Amino acid sequence: MYEKEKDLISAFLRGEVDRRGMLKGLGAAGLTVGTAGTLFNMMSTQTLAADFDWKAHSGKKLKLLLNKHPYADAMIANLQTFKDLTGIDVTYDVFPEDVYFDKVTAALSSGSAEYDAFMTGAYMTWTYGPAGWITDLKEWINDPAKTNPQYAWDDFLPGVKNSCAWNGQPGGALGSDDAKQWCIPWGYEQNNLSFNQAMFDKAGVAVPKNIDELSAAAAKLTKDVGGGVYGIGVRGSRSWATIHPGFLSGYANFGQKDLNVGADGKLSAAMNTAESKAFHAKWVSMIQESGPKDWSTYTWYQVGTDLGAGASAMIYDADILGYFMNGGDNKMAGKLAYAPFAANPAASAPTPNIWIWSLAMSNFSKDKDATWYFLQWATGLEHAIFGATKMDFVNPVRASVWKDEIFRERLNKSYPGYVEMHDVSAPGAKIHFTAQPLFFDVTTEWASTLQKMVAKQVPVDEGLDQLAESINRQLQEAGLG
Amino acid sequence: MDTMSPLERVLRGLALTLVVVFFMFPIFWIFLMSFQTNETILAIPPSIVFSPTLSNYAALITGKLQTAAGTLDIAFMRNLGNSIFLSVASVAVALVLGVPAAYAFARHKFKGSEDIAFTLLSFRFAPPLLVLLPLTQYFQWLGLSNTYFGLIWVYQLICLPLILWIVRGYFEDISADVEYAYRIAGHSWFATFRKIALPLAGPGIAAAGLLAFIFAWNNFVFALVLASADKQPVTVGALAFVTSSGIQYGQIAAAIVLSVTPTLALALYAQRYLVEGLSLGAVKG
Repeated sequence: MYEKEKDLISAFLRGEVDRRGMLKGLGAAGLTVGTAGTLFNMMSTQTLAADFDWKAHSGKKLKLLLNKHPYADAMIANLQTFKDLTGIDVTYDVFPEDVYFDKVTAALSSGSAEYDAFMTGAYMTWTYGPAGWITDLKEWINDPAKTNPQYAWDDFLPGVKNSCAWNGQPGGALGSDDAKQWCIPWGYEQNNLSFNQAMFDKAGVAVPKNIDELSAAAAKLTKDVGGGVYGIGVRGSRSWATIHPGFLSGYANFGQKDLNVGADGKLSAAMNTAESKAFHAKWVSMIQESGPKDWSTYTWYQVGTDLGAGASAMIYDADILGYFMNGGDNKMAGKLAYAPFAANPAASAPTPNIWIWSLAMSNFSKDKDATWYFLQWATGLEHAIFGATKMDFVNPVRASVWKDEIFRERLNKSYPGYVEMHDVSAPGAKIHFTAQPLFFDVTTEWASTLQKMVAKQVPVDEGLDQLAESINRQLQEAGLG
Repeated sequence: MDTMSPLERVLRGLALTLVVVFFMFPIFWIFLMSFQTNETILAIPPSIVFSPTLSNYAALITGKLQTAAGTLDIAFMRNLGNSIFLSVASVAVALVLGVPAAYAFARHKFKGSEDIAFTLLSFRFAPPLLVLLPLTQYFQWLGLSNTYFGLIWVYQLICLPLILWIVRGYFEDISADVEYAYRIAGHSWFATFRKIALPLAGPGIAAAGLLAFIFAWNNFVFALVLASADKQPVTVGALAFVTSSGIQYGQIAAAIVLSVTPTLALALYAQRYLVEGLSLGAVKG
């Protein structure tokens, strides 16, 4: 029964038929969506199992620590596939994002063996890795006996993959040859523009192409849209999270850095260059003129909520924040559009800084081989396709998923400009920070200085000089500068 | 005799109304929010007129939350159950241990009694974050991680000092002569404690129990670090509505209403008991 259909799916999984051809064929055969889905899952499992002993750890148990996130939801929805494939039983704890990293830190710092793998951000591995809390995954990735030959490590977007690898040396380049792969990227966020098309039309504003146009557009939107709508939403709380999205993406586009790495490996602050001061001045002025009134309290949530509720006309923040605000019961659902953004008029393309939700292996896991089986399945192509086409697993980190026509069509249909935005900015997308142990201290103080500048407590030039001086002192005290 | 002029009465009423509105308005607004969707809550400008919905309460009770990223499973009712169980059990254990101890500290001066009492009080001084890491390791060695027993034990750091020190004060305020009279009649010290001291200190014990319950209910960090997701109290569970795909304000408001209800009910009940106990007086003439 269904032999022809199985052959068709197998051909697709072997890459001999594209997804559109397979779906057309299944439709012509009169299969319902449910039956086709069941057959697809069954054949995927068989294909996965064909060249690799997925049952090697059958009967073992793993426990995961997960953040409440659409990526985790997509994995949980597909988890039975992994259990069927491997015979490994997987349980999990899901914690809200507000407290998630406290839970992770407590579990790792106490040497708890409760969790085998967990979600993390790449920045956090700069603490976890050198502390010996997580495992370098290169050992498993490079072992053909332990890794499915179809895993396709090269399929990961290079900037994303390399951003999860660091050699542990302060200032060491991410993705260097001697880098340790502290985590496997799972899903990621670029920082670009998400905007309200109707408000742009009403104010007669075109999509801005650089920082000056952005500032002017935001001012015109604030003035012309009315109803208390402000022009641009960006984060402003006293936190590292204020620096890493739009701000650093624009800053890096001018070739500016957070820290200099000397020939002797010593670090020093790089925020008080003339170019940096010019960018800061424009950024601060834009917030003062067209940002939210209580900008200094703005986090991911406020920036997104305002866009979704129609209180702001655009955001320069994570693309998936704009993606989420275009759905659900948000007032502006279906009314948002997206555009890549290069702050520097002289730049050829955007250079978004990125946040990467990744999966890492606890160094205290009692069964690392079985844990790796889970990690390679969860970061594998089949699950990525499942998450991208059936759930909200955006942005995928595999190039082949971005080539998937069904996925691209789905995005193009409801999220105008999203695919193009991604394609344009993906080549320059990576972590633009310098990897070093004082990352959170440096960025938090940077955010604090921005707050003072926006509040006009300190002029931009003077504020940046003070910031650089303070950071240099901290780096020296820590033996890094 | 009422000597206030009509104007004074009006002004006094106005002032009281303003105070009540000032303190009650946020609670009233949250109550209204719990019957609204995110769209109406975030409407600009905010409006007090809306079509009420029970969807927020339905989401909490069914455990299915609709978000921009689809349907999410939430465990709020389980969190609420955990909070009730952990708080009630912790206060019960603390009362069983703390009240006799408080009586002993109040009535019997023995060597090191003040040191022991102060040591117990010092549990309240230590920031939880300071003791959590060693506690986590001890709990792992003892097999108490992720157990209700372990959590109730660690909640004694919150409840026991409160009960012991508050109730001790009440026992000290009760005239010892009443107890001596009862002892002279041939009763044991335990009977004296049970029949005389406990009833007289009832309001104090109720107040201490209520306070300990509120502190235990509001605790956040112990369960977060020491237990898995299925044993988390409502303080942690309520954060599940703050998701990367948006903040579910309506569900947060409904969760607050449901979370406040047990504590509020207990406070109202205990308040009546306290007033009754105090108005009767400790020693009748």
